[in-house]
Amino acid sequence: MTVRRSLVLATLVAAQVASMPAQERPPSGVTYQDLLKGYSEPTTWASFSGDFSGQRHSPLRQITPENVHRLAARWTFQTGIVPRRGFEGTPLVVDGVMYLTGPFGSAWALDARTGRPFWRYRRDLPTDLTYGAISPVNRGFGILGDRLFMVTPDAHVVALDAKTGTVLWDTTMADYKIGYAATAAPLVIDGKVIAGISGGDFPTRGFLDAYDPATGARVWRFYTVPGPGEPGSDTWPGAESMTRGGGATWVTGSYDPDLNLLYWGTGNPNPLYYGDDRKGSNLHTASIIAVDAATGKLRWYHQFTPHDLHDWDSNHVPVLAEVAIGGQPRKVVMVANRNGFFYVFDRATGKLLVGKPYSDTTWARELDANGHPIVVNDGSKGCLPDQWGSTNYMPPSYDAARRLFFVTVRETCAEYRPVKETIVPGRISNSGTVVRDAERSYGVLRAIDPATVERKWEFKYPTPTMAGVMSTAAGVVFAGDNEGNFMAFDARSGKNLWFFPTGAPIWGAAPMTFMVDGRQHVVIGSGTSVTAFALPAEAGTPPPR
Amino acid sequence: MAAFALALGAWVAAQAPPPPAVPRDDAQVRTGATLFRERCAECHGADGKGVAAHDLTRLWSAGATDNQVFQTIRNGVPNTIMPSSNAPDDQLRALVAYLRSINDSPNTPPELSGNAENGERLFWTSCGTCHKIKERGGRMGPDLSRVNQSRDQLVAAIRTPSASLATGFEPVTLVTREGRRVRALRKSEDAFSIQVMDTQERLQGYLKGDLREVVRETTSMMPAFGTDKLSGGDLDDLLRFLATLRPATPPRRP
Repeated sequence: MTVRRSLVLATLVAAQVASMPAQERPPSGVTYQDLLKGYSEPTTWASFSGDFSGQRHSPLRQITPENVHRLAARWTFQTGIVPRRGFEGTPLVVDGVMYLTGPFGSAWALDARTGRPFWRYRRDLPTDLTYGAISPVNRGFGILGDRLFMVTPDAHVVALDAKTGTVLWDTTMADYKIGYAATAAPLVIDGKVIAGISGGDFPTRGFLDAYDPATGARVWRFYTVPGPGEPGSDTWPGAESMTRGGGATWVTGSYDPDLNLLYWGTGNPNPLYYGDDRKGSNLHTASIIAVDAATGKLRWYHQFTPHDLHDWDSNHVPVLAEVAIGGQPRKVVMVANRNGFFYVFDRATGKLLVGKPYSDTTWARELDANGHPIVVNDGSKGCLPDQWGSTNYMPPSYDAARRLFFVTVRETCAEYRPVKETIVPGRISNSGTVVRDAERSYGVLRAIDPATVERKWEFKYPTPTMAGVMSTAAGVVFAGDNEGNFMAFDARSGKNLWFFPTGAPIWGAAPMTFMVDGRQHVVIGSGTSVTAFALPAEAGTPPPR
Repeated sequence: MAAFALALGAWVAAQAPPPPAVPRDDAQVRTGATLFRERCAECHGADGKGVAAHDLTRLWSAGATDNQVFQTIRNGVPNTIMPSSNAPDDQLRALVAYLRSINDSPNTPPELSGNAENGERLFWTSCGTCHKIKERGGRMGPDLSRVNQSRDQLVAAIRTPSASLATGFEPVTLVTREGRRVRALRKSEDAFSIQVMDTQERLQGYLKGDLREVVRETTSMMPAFGTDKLSGGDLDDLLRFLATLRPATPPRRP
């Protein structure tokens, strides 16, 4: 390759560009039809989970259990921003460009081949953030057309020009000063941007919003905690407790286009550990909600942990699939919950089909007729799972062909000490503390059969981990741990096939994968960085289609 | 760039008491130069002329005051990569002193005349293909939604655009191994790869190993609008229109 300078050519270019009207440029960007393709378009990963199903299971087959030991880092992108916890986002990849968000309202467009930047965005944040100061993380973009959508630590939702990173619209979701923030990747569906809110550890009232992608105008809002007189208000002692009842929606949900239903998790009731001033089951906190995408109305719900006292948010990626239950194929939504139970619902009706513990929790081992845990240890009979639960917001994955649900499990031991505290807007309302016994705690990657919740295999980590999971059709499961290892496992046996020490805990982040230049890339965030892996060029097999 | 920061400085100045006057002091300039290299040069360039951010060598000539520059460093520029600073006042004063030492001598900001309505019409017939104002327009040139350069800077950019190419808009032609020519604007580059926006406004990354040649054009993709294409009167109208885009109030969220 040589480098030279040219005057004549540039003049011609200038003349041609100037004469090319903008409207004659080809249409670009992501359509709703593209989003519907999900995993079946292997050069693209266009949403947080890569697909409306939330399965995080790619059909790609270039990286296999046989060759994954040759996987090597191709590039690392350093955000240059030291986060409170880690890099929690899942990047998007469209047409060879990677779009990622980072802590403190930052975002970048990168060359997916090299990790080199096209543009960067940094939001100017107020100095008096509340939940956003404690957790300034961001988990990713949504995309439609040439627009990217992200939420911010000061509880706004903004649209950026995907080509330049400039702000197209900026809409306030809620008042950050009383405790709201926003962290979850928006979910783009047909004509709507669905955005969840964070800050349920502060005296706030959770909601799920839909915005117009063109203007940023709010289309509907569903409050997860009811208002006075509304259904569920009888599960609270009074109006005041509901206005600050928690129930945030801080992990991206899933979507069934045929039913036009959104499936979303809701967070802990507020305050976290002291519950005597919020007597009742506290709907719809610690629940899954199925919300009509057209209207924002609640279609069905299930509360996993009535009157939660352990900060067991139900903010998980609900996984949609067709699973044979008792020999009968059912369209289901599955949740491995922070309370230690694995749940399978009929996703049209909300009927509970399966509910059994997938962790060693001693808190409860069975559900009652209403699908609620029968509590056998309230903490008086030994330690309970800690406040981060048996799993957390790190995404799981589901391999339908092998009928295996892969989930990062935390086996922990903690004592809860609730305290009655004065609730102050803008201040965190823990109302208690948790003492953890680190020596008796560990992490484990577990493969379970969703129909029976039988454990098929597991791989133990030294400490409880917060890393997400991705699996592929070739039979490789990618996962991470709290010691910073990014790892590959055989989906059938659970045998570890490869590891790469990233140098910082993999915290909340889950892998994603895409094809570029005929090579399958796998990407993980860790610490201040994002790293892309691929097989050496000569080792690659042809792309799968 | 300079003028953008100026407008911000103007409103900040209206709200905050002015800092103590900046004395002229060689030691202070040297201190400022050190601070500049440590904290500013990554974006603004070792010479202050701008790498990934704005040219700081024409602040005073565009009408800035010491106080405005001070306040812009203190408060940052909302919705841009320029952060606020909590450094002590004397460090900021040293930076101002250093910046003034590398700035052109001030001249009087000209009075704007011209017909903004005609300027707007001219903009959308001649400029909007490549420049954006808010959501309308192209991306092959810098976004002009909040353009705030001095008249001299704007005249130079319109009459002789190739004299100074904006960062991120340097024209290149990539020649692939197959001989295909890709005309584009350079967004980023290292020894092994180059990231560009092509003339169809697509973001594209190339490995240099896959390219036969990277031709660095010295002529801006923007055609020069000499007096044959844009009369003096029309230029005044265009500048008048662009002046209406200057942010009168801070672009700060409520």
